[in-house]
Amino acid sequence: MQLTIRATGENVKSISHLLSKNPNNLYERNQKGHLVRFFYSKFTEDELEATIFVTPDPIGLIQNKTNSYDITHYINDREFAASSIFLSLIRSALGTALNGQPKEEQMEWVEHPFAFTLELGPVNSTLSDRQLRELFEPLGYGVEITQPELHYSFRLKESSQVRMISLAGIQTLQNSLRHLFVLIPVIDDYKHYFIDEKEIEKLERYGEGWLEKHPLREVIYRRALRFKEVYSLVENTTAEAPKAEPVKKSRLNELRYEKIAETAETLHPKTVVDFGSGEGKLAVKLGFVSGVREVLAVEPSEVEIIKAKKRFEKAKGQEAFVEPETLWGSLFYYDERLKDKDLMILCEVIEHIDEMRLPKVFDTLLHLYSPKSLIVTTPNREYNEIYDMAEHFRHDDHRFEWTRAEFRSWCAERNTKGIYELEFTGIGEEHPEQGAPTQMCLFRRKVNAG
Amino acid sequence: MRIGLPHAGIVLLIGPSNSGKSTFLKRQIEEKAVLPSEVVSSDDFRMRVGDLEFIDWKNRPQDEANGLMDEYQELSKEAFTLMDNVIKARCRLNKLVFVDATHLRSEDRKRYIELAKENHVPIQAIVFDVNERILTARDEVRDNPRGKRRIKQQYQIFRNEKRFIKKEGFTAVHTLKEEEVEFFRRTNPIELDIDKGIDVIGDIHGCYEELIELLTKLGYEENSEGFYIHPEGRRFVSVGDVMSRGPESLKTMMFFYQHVQKGLALMVDSNHGWKIARWLDGRQVVLSHGDEKVEEEFRVYEQKVGIEKLQEIKQQLKDFLLNAPSHYVFQKNGVPVVIVTHAGIKDEFIGKQSQTISDFCRYGDSDESRENGRPVRKDWTIGHHKSVLVVWGHDPKPKPLLVNQTINIDQGVVFGGQLTAYRYPEREFSAVEAKQDYSGHPDNPLIEWEKNRLNPPDIAKFLKGYSVLTEELGEVRIPPELVKPAIDTVSHFTVPIEQLVYIPPTMSPTPNPSAMENYLEHPKEAIEYFRANGIHTMIAEKKHMGSRAILFLFKDEEASEKHTGIRSLGTIHTRTGKRFFDRETEAQLLRQINEDLKRMNYFEEKETEFVLLDAEIMPWNLKAKELISSQYAHVAENALLDRTFLRDKLAAAAKSNTELQHWLEEYEQKLGNAQDFNDVFQKYCWDVDSVEAIQIAPFHILAHSNRTFFDKPHTWHMEMNRHLASHSDLFVETEYKMISDEASEAEVIDWWKEITEDGHEGIIIKPEFYIARQRGKLLQPAIKVRGSRYLKIIYGMDYLEPANLIRLKNRNTGKKQKLALKEFTLGIEGISRYVNGETIERVHECVLGALALESDPVDPRL
Repeated sequence: MQLTIRATGENVKSISHLLSKNPNNLYERNQKGHLVRFFYSKFTEDELEATIFVTPDPIGLIQNKTNSYDITHYINDREFAASSIFLSLIRSALGTALNGQPKEEQMEWVEHPFAFTLELGPVNSTLSDRQLRELFEPLGYGVEITQPELHYSFRLKESSQVRMISLAGIQTLQNSLRHLFVLIPVIDDYKHYFIDEKEIEKLERYGEGWLEKHPLREVIYRRALRFKEVYSLVENTTAEAPKAEPVKKSRLNELRYEKIAETAETLHPKTVVDFGSGEGKLAVKLGFVSGVREVLAVEPSEVEIIKAKKRFEKAKGQEAFVEPETLWGSLFYYDERLKDKDLMILCEVIEHIDEMRLPKVFDTLLHLYSPKSLIVTTPNREYNEIYDMAEHFRHDDHRFEWTRAEFRSWCAERNTKGIYELEFTGIGEEHPEQGAPTQMCLFRRKVNAG
Repeated sequence: MRIGLPHAGIVLLIGPSNSGKSTFLKRQIEEKAVLPSEVVSSDDFRMRVGDLEFIDWKNRPQDEANGLMDEYQELSKEAFTLMDNVIKARCRLNKLVFVDATHLRSEDRKRYIELAKENHVPIQAIVFDVNERILTARDEVRDNPRGKRRIKQQYQIFRNEKRFIKKEGFTAVHTLKEEEVEFFRRTNPIELDIDKGIDVIGDIHGCYEELIELLTKLGYEENSEGFYIHPEGRRFVSVGDVMSRGPESLKTMMFFYQHVQKGLALMVDSNHGWKIARWLDGRQVVLSHGDEKVEEEFRVYEQKVGIEKLQEIKQQLKDFLLNAPSHYVFQKNGVPVVIVTHAGIKDEFIGKQSQTISDFCRYGDSDESRENGRPVRKDWTIGHHKSVLVVWGHDPKPKPLLVNQTINIDQGVVFGGQLTAYRYPEREFSAVEAKQDYSGHPDNPLIEWEKNRLNPPDIAKFLKGYSVLTEELGEVRIPPELVKPAIDTVSHFTVPIEQLVYIPPTMSPTPNPSAMENYLEHPKEAIEYFRANGIHTMIAEKKHMGSRAILFLFKDEEASEKHTGIRSLGTIHTRTGKRFFDRETEAQLLRQINEDLKRMNYFEEKETEFVLLDAEIMPWNLKAKELISSQYAHVAENALLDRTFLRDKLAAAAKSNTELQHWLEEYEQKLGNAQDFNDVFQKYCWDVDSVEAIQIAPFHILAHSNRTFFDKPHTWHMEMNRHLASHSDLFVETEYKMISDEASEAEVIDWWKEITEDGHEGIIIKPEFYIARQRGKLLQPAIKVRGSRYLKIIYGMDYLEPANLIRLKNRNTGKKQKLALKEFTLGIEGISRYVNGETIERVHECVLGALALESDPVDPRL
């Protein structure tokens, strides 16, 4: 982590006073084990060059980090990157310049613009070179970016996210430092400390006189404050227009739940099991199905279980509602509590399981638990064409998506003992060729089957 | 009069005061016929709790007499409570105890009869029948005389009760009328010395041919009289059920009857044996479950030899079967080492006999309690905590099942399985195959077992945390908070449960950091660890730098289906159970390896249907490309950029400012570190354009379908790996060296230095054998010693700077070591169970345990 300040032209020697650094001495301070160092490499009448850098204590830097049990714990770019850590370490060394408070007789140079070149880095940023330029150019800098040349012995990556930035412009020292103290954390991908309202105050102080006019002001704020909660204190930007897709999705979800609840009504179950019940929306619906006495909501995620419990709590008072019971479970294990139920439901679950593991799961369901009925829903891949996503799955975690024919024959194959009758239907708006977005199979145990 | 004393239980003395009970015992003690510790007397306990043997209230005013009586009763109550506890304890411990008190009333005696019954020990009575005159005369001369009136009262009670005693349920009642008595001791009839060794034989069920074949295999030789005698004097012991279901029950029963009579064999009671015994005894029993075949055999026999001969045999067999004990306790130097029983036993039953015990040993724990409205059959082996080994049968399993110091050796010969013998003290199994399935039973338990073997594991067994009972380390506890994340992993990320039989254990680095200034790790500390633990021959294997992988390779799809229920050529998974490759690459690799193995005739030669390999797969970037790019390369890029710029600036400025020289030197050094870091991680990477570029370095052949290899030295594993590497381009050899003395140690250290200076990861030092112990304590199976350059990618490029190294040396490997042992044990246990054909649930118990332990946070850099 380093910053080199070069200035050319008349009176550049006065900059040493603004920095409050004696050109005859090396500067070294120990900040919590990290060494903050400063030296001049040029000091003539019309050229000044000084570098401030930090030699960090790599072990001290990562102590007490939350992910301390990560194999790459000691392998960390923080000891190199020009980041908020760097700034907090050099802040006091540059305090005089940053605050514009040199000795009285040097005050005239505070407001004096010099021809500066500031070289800093390495920066670690997901921002593109163009975006980096757009941050500095409006402030009057010419921007040069140096990327390392990569020579790996095997194919690894095309380019590095690591860069050195060189900024050239006529600026006062104080302003240029203030630009950096605001923009370095904006560029850097991480923040090393907790972000709270104090950060807003810092932004306002260092950003005084320039940040408000910056064309990327909003981006700067957002990246500097990082977290929505803090950011919302500054601004109430117009809420993002909700995307069209989620609407469609939530609508389809609703349709699925309705269809399942409807089907359940016709089956007159007393006991119902909802596998992969998630936050419990379907389970609540099932709690209203007439005649139901027990709803088991099976889910392995603790977070979802908590959400579901809250939802059940809310619905609890309502008339004719049977509060579902949450059950921590997995389809790959046998759970005696799930035996001999009237209705089991796998709503949008199977496509999240590796296809080769499914036959065994269904054998457990149909032949060990042997419910009277089993409802299975899954996306109809044919319909993806309507979504204009024929080549893609609808969700990152989907391990497969089936056409109607595939689903049909797959379900039929699961009925190895022939003790179930199968009915297929679609859920959602039916397309004449592509069918409905969701397909459903109802397995009903034959009356005389074991 | 001679009185035989049982080996254990209660001897109740009965008689009024002054009848001579205490005097009698005193004399027996003096004659050393009875131990002082075997006698408890109410007088002694009164003394012990209240300092008084007797309180005299006669001739006292009524108010005082009442008070004294109260005191005496209170004192007696305490004394009896204490005494009863001592008696109970001795009964539990299967010791003999003489109870010296009057025991005049029937309720006093019944209490002890009950107590003996509860503890499954016999109870005898010795009745002191002395006339009133003598009693009174004796009372007058004793200390604390009880008084005439009391004696008279006691005698009257005694006279009235006397005749009932015999019918109260004592094992024996001896009545003494002032005569001399000589005791003799009976030994425990079910405790036997192991002597020249025993061969315990599983349920025979009339499979006579197989029995003879097995005995012959075990070295028994038929003599001229038709007896099978072992030249070394060994005996064979049946776990019972020698009859029913099979073809030749009568012949088999007679065979055992005759051999037992001759002292050549032993047989315990069993469910079928008991049924036939009662049938022979003429009781009303329904002969079913193959017992009807025995009846038929008797009918045929009668036609052959006539009713007279039949009656004779029936009588012999009846007595033989009725008297078969519930179990035998075999001892070595007086210490019980093996129990043989039919269906199971409770620890507190061992060495005892009773109706309850017989029932338990015949049928097992058939007590069905109800949980969630469903009957739960109890597993008696869970309650076995004693270290004595219990060998049993009754419940057919495809292979001998070793659980919690119990071994089931019923391999269902009558169902077409095997007849098993367990040899002790050799602790070996021997078995013969059944000639056929004789049972004709539609519910063949062996087929049923096989059908259910792959049933999904019962989640209830795991959710609340559980223990795995391992052969190597005893109980390994899996805490509940780690189980759920592990089940979650299994549900979302791993290969199917049926293919996931092993999770490799974590490995500890050297227990102590290097004593040398420039090293964090050095072979010396690993070698010292093993030497300090009595291991003097070690192997040093080169540690490849790639990703750990388990290869489960099947001979063909049919073999895979048989063992896992899945048709494939196998699976390759990571150390966390995830599929190593994408499906396409995996299929291609499996196909290629399968071809190579078949070409070298591996499966036929080793008579196996699968091989389970523990290996490292290279290059590193195969699995870790993303991590390398975003972490290692990224950090290298940062470091090189930062340090190059600073070095250049310092170099330029140092020309005119000599003070900067030491900063410059520092940064030249640091830049060197960064360059080295950049070089090191690339060393483990190369482009993989086709599977040919993949290298697999197996280091353990964990198992074949017929056996595990944990008993082999590592040199054997290394040789096997060399063998594989020489026949397949995918496999690579692993270099290794032995350490046995100073010279070979020095050689290994030089070798380590040489390869690690070249950037290789390092070496692993292991004891010569796979499983190593010192004084019963399991030792670390392996210790890694990583190279000084390699460690830069673990501890950072500047870790060798003295200020950093001194802090890093402060690490603690204790937790890591404990974890390594637990996971190592779970691994061995799981594979052993799998190879033994146990249920996938019993295998998964170990796998899930290892996954759970791995989710416990431990410093991963160790």
